[in-house]
Amino acid sequence: MKTATKRKSNFEATAWKWMRYSGFLLIPLVWIHVLIQDVIVGVHAIDIDYVALRWASIGWQTYDILLLAFAFAHGMNGLRQVAMDFVHTERGRKATNIGIFILWLVVSLIGAIAIIAGARPELA
Amino acid sequence: MAAPSNSLKTTATGYVGYRGGEWHYAFLLHRLTGLGTLLFLIIHIVDTATVYFYPSLYEHAIALYQSTPFMLGEVALVFSVIYHGVNGLRIAAVDLWMENRWSIKAQQMGVRGTFAISVLLWLPAAAIMLNALLEHNFGIHIFGG
Repeated sequence: MKTATKRKSNFEATAWKWMRYSGFLLIPLVWIHVLIQDVIVGVHAIDIDYVALRWASIGWQTYDILLLAFAFAHGMNGLRQVAMDFVHTERGRKATNIGIFILWLVVSLIGAIAIIAGARPELA
Repeated sequence: MAAPSNSLKTTATGYVGYRGGEWHYAFLLHRLTGLGTLLFLIIHIVDTATVYFYPSLYEHAIALYQSTPFMLGEVALVFSVIYHGVNGLRIAAVDLWMENRWSIKAQQMGVRGTFAISVLLWLPAAAIMLNALLEHNFGIHIFGG
């Protein structure tokens, strides 16, 4: 009798590896973002005009889209991995996965629309 | 398989009760900093998106971030991002390239190095941010007039 249980897909193995590869990318991506916005510029120098100016440049728009895509997906998959340590039933895991997926999708869309459409300081 | 309530209790108590030495704390801190950063990230994406969806709301969000408790939170957030990155690099390096060189001594050195590098990278950033906090929120100028 074969002891190994064959799975249809090795999604979890791919997700496990992906956390490491996306992590490599996120170190420069997140650290540079935090260094500029939190340490050098500082929260007291940030307003809607600052955001409008930043997103007027295709370079920073691209940067922030990459940040949103990789950091948030990495974070939500991390949350999923932590949740799998606590939720052990088939049904519970399925519900958790679906819930996390929907939250990821909705928040990602909100962020992406804002970055692409840009700030509207004239309405502030 | 244990009943869900039992396994939840086992996992929860195991998280804190297991005495695995410094790598256990590295693991706990990795999860804590990761979840903390994610919680901030969700709020951050939504509040920044108000610049398009609800522009008049954005200045209220920024005013909140400029308050003392949030600026202290920001200092903790920067530590979380640094530690999670440094420790993540250690995890990835051990998992992907160093499977044949695993030893307790090497792991111990790796974890201690991770803590040390994180604090060293964090201190200058924390000093700059705390200086900005004192200057803007308390009118205290440590450097210059």
